[in-house]
Amino acid sequence: MLTAILTLTGVGLVAAIGLGIASRVFAVQVDPLVEQVAELVPGVNCGACGNASCNAYAEMLVAGTAGIDECTVMSDEARAKIAEILNIEFTKTDKPTAVVLCQGTTAHIQLKYHYDGVPSCRAAQLVAEGYTGCDYGCLGLGDCERVCPFDAIHVVDGLAVVDEEKCTACGKCVDVCPRNIIELHTTNQRVHVLCSSQDKGKIVRGVCDVGCIACRKCVKVCPVEAIEFKDNLARIITEKCIQCGACARACPTGSILDQGGPHYIAKINDNCTGCTLCARKCPAGAISGEKKLLHVVDEKKCVRCHVCYDVCNFEAIALVDEQGQEMIAPKPKKKKKKAAAPQGAAS
Amino acid sequence: MTGLLLLAVSAVLVNNFVLARFLGICPFLGVSKKIETAVGMGMAVIFVMTVAGVVTWLLYNYVLFPLDLVYLQTIVFILVIASLVQFVEMVIQKVSPVLYQALGIYLPLITTNCAVLGVAVLNVQNEHSFAEMLVFSFSAALGFTLALVLFAGIRERIEFNDVPESLKGTAIALITAGLLSLAFMGFAGLVK
Amino acid sequence: MIGRMFRGGVHPPEKKLSADVPVKPLPVPEQVIVPLSMHIGAPAKPVVQGGDEVKLGQLIAESSGFVSANIHSPVSGVVRTIEPRDHPLGRKLPCFVIDNDGKDDAVEFTPLGDWPTAEPKALIEAIHAAGIVGMGGATFPTHVKLSPPPQFPIDTVIANGVECEPYLTSDHRLMLEHPDRVLEGLRIVMRVLGLDKGFIGIEQNKPDAIALMREKVADHPGVEVLALPVRYPQGAEKQLIYAATKREIPSGGLPMNVGCLVQNVGTLAAIRDAVVEGKPLVERIVTVTGEAVAQPVNLLVRLGTPIRLLIEAAGGATVPTAKVISGGPMMGLAQYTDQTPVIKGSSGLLVLGPEQAPVIEAGPCIRCGACVRGCPMGLQPTELARLVQNDDFAAAEAWGVLDCIECGSCAFGCPAHIKLVHWIRFGKAEVMARRKKG
Repeated sequence: MLTAILTLTGVGLVAAIGLGIASRVFAVQVDPLVEQVAELVPGVNCGACGNASCNAYAEMLVAGTAGIDECTVMSDEARAKIAEILNIEFTKTDKPTAVVLCQGTTAHIQLKYHYDGVPSCRAAQLVAEGYTGCDYGCLGLGDCERVCPFDAIHVVDGLAVVDEEKCTACGKCVDVCPRNIIELHTTNQRVHVLCSSQDKGKIVRGVCDVGCIACRKCVKVCPVEAIEFKDNLARIITEKCIQCGACARACPTGSILDQGGPHYIAKINDNCTGCTLCARKCPAGAISGEKKLLHVVDEKKCVRCHVCYDVCNFEAIALVDEQGQEMIAPKPKKKKKKAAAPQGAAS
Repeated sequence: MTGLLLLAVSAVLVNNFVLARFLGICPFLGVSKKIETAVGMGMAVIFVMTVAGVVTWLLYNYVLFPLDLVYLQTIVFILVIASLVQFVEMVIQKVSPVLYQALGIYLPLITTNCAVLGVAVLNVQNEHSFAEMLVFSFSAALGFTLALVLFAGIRERIEFNDVPESLKGTAIALITAGLLSLAFMGFAGLVK
Repeated sequence: MIGRMFRGGVHPPEKKLSADVPVKPLPVPEQVIVPLSMHIGAPAKPVVQGGDEVKLGQLIAESSGFVSANIHSPVSGVVRTIEPRDHPLGRKLPCFVIDNDGKDDAVEFTPLGDWPTAEPKALIEAIHAAGIVGMGGATFPTHVKLSPPPQFPIDTVIANGVECEPYLTSDHRLMLEHPDRVLEGLRIVMRVLGLDKGFIGIEQNKPDAIALMREKVADHPGVEVLALPVRYPQGAEKQLIYAATKREIPSGGLPMNVGCLVQNVGTLAAIRDAVVEGKPLVERIVTVTGEAVAQPVNLLVRLGTPIRLLIEAAGGATVPTAKVISGGPMMGLAQYTDQTPVIKGSSGLLVLGPEQAPVIEAGPCIRCGACVRGCPMGLQPTELARLVQNDDFAAAEAWGVLDCIECGSCAFGCPAHIKLVHWIRFGKAEVMARRKKG
């Protein structure tokens, strides 16, 4: 009995001492912070941050060589927690999303030739620069769909379509598209020029009926000069854009899409006190009126941005449709809080 | 000499630990997705099996048997194997963190790997001499590595094949393992 | 002498429908479209502009770098404009559009003089000035090819008269009708490189050309005619070099790495014209053929002629055209419009009907190995296609995807009609793009 206990203890001790020495010799510093952070990162290893794995990203976060904004997949809560753990600043950023700058479904476009090759966009691009009549349009063979780790982009009728709910803006589709027509925009930007064609209007008209023909009508109607032209293509300057959608309404081919809305025309009623606030705020200069007198909206100039509606404190501005039908009633006045009655009666 | 050679061939091919004896299936299925990790795991197992074989054999023949403590064989063997695996883990974590990450949970699972205990017990059961024990342990590990690398090669190949939805993943892996096992049955009779 | 066989290769039906049709000149069109790039390397820089009058053979664009070529006007007339036009490569590229005045008013040609005594440098300069590029289809600037860096001395020159592509007969007719020009061109190149030995490779399906060339080289003991067994792609330079010298070019290497230089017979004839007559490259022989044209012909065509005129000259399309290919059926480029012009590398125009160019959906790979057996570079096309399909471009590079010469032997033999060359080209493009990214 004793021998058994002694033998076992002996073997155990030898093993323990051996391991103790080994743990010193082969010691590896593992930062406990890294483990904590590693728990919070998504763990999908999608590579959007530029690192091979989420663990690698966690290590870089702790070391301070990477920022928490680099991972677009993490939720804001995870980001906030990591910021707490690492004692760094955290600011909420707008969630970005991928946008396919093309509306060329099979119904809209002409083809250059019948393509009988490998079913991949990158491969099709090698054959006479792609089979779509427009050299800049979506090829619709699904390279983006296959590369997306979040099942957020699909090819429908020959055009790639992004599911904004699932999209994490990891950027994989942006990299794989051989025509570089997918971009990352913030979800706050609701108006997009969904065309990438740099061809002159005449050529565009011949190959696609929803392409930008560079007619510049959008530039004319934009109240804040948020549209510029480069290479025969309209581009919205997102920093200036007020999301009014006037450009989308003015576009003759429908190549500008307004995902916000609906947008209505402002109409001022008798409650107007003439405070002139709306007239001053109107970016299109569509409201006119004297101080203390009823103001009037010029329907033709109104860009339907609803800014006046937001600023009016007198329930004086309603939003109506093109027939004059009221769609949104004027904003109720802010109720002033009554001052609290003094406690107990004043003696 | 021929005896040792035959012992080696038997351990690697005829009675392959994974495909004929069905020991060590856990790392076999868990680490065989990529050839590189399979090789890494194989190296770790070769080290553990060989050293464990030696240490357990020495302990058995010079401590347990003389002291009439043969009944402690299982506990002592597991103790030795566990310590060795811990040691290997530390070394790998230091020397190749990438491999350490890749092997993940399967590295400490070598401890509970019945293949290693199997080698230790078989050495004792078959009353191997020192030379025989050395050859047997090393060959068993070699056979394990062979099976693992072969399987990893096949799995890498079929990863992108058109596998029916219901068979994707572990299912097709097990079917393939079974077929590989059948193939190795062809070695039966190689060594009398 | 019979050459040594290279490994792999396939035997597509020869279909030399126009082998016995003598070359006849095509009437010069009213307007020519001359691209600024008809060669490998930097596009040429225009030296004339819209509105300028030009003469036949006048320099209209010059080399814009070491690897570039001069371009000369193929007609006399007025430059209408320089604008993007459809190019046989498959995209719109800047081209001269020149209105022909029909007079063929040529500039004065200044021949070099006695070339056997001329300095190699002067000869190379004359070749450069004439805008000569490889006319077998690759269009590599010849003066660059003839100026290898000193660490790669050339000891063997081979004239490529193999023409292994089915349907094409332009080189064959050139050798039959102008053997002296070809031979003189070869001897000029031998003078440039300082060699006294040269080969002329011809496939055995052209016995008349072999016999005629053998007759002509009888007076020139340094030149030997190699009658090569018929197998595609015998005319590919790596395979031709192996047949003539048993030397293998290392992976990623060039013929100069094994001391060899290959030049198409058409290029050699143009070299001779440039040196002996001072004539720049403004025209070439083009085979117009295929089951869908009424009469397959060999035409002497001015560069810049729209291909629809060539199709008309061959009697027009007799069946609904399924495919128009610039080049041969194995390596040519399918055209999506008949407005593209003939360029320096346009060896042939193939008009095929639906029977010759069916659209067949690719099936699964049955691992029969036909592609592996056929590959002349010893690659495994089925494996390369699989790796590219799985986006494993690093592995594709390791398996030698960049060594593929895109000859089409693999796709030709595939019973499942898998688009192997397309997958491999895709893989090559991705590997090169990743290399650029670093």
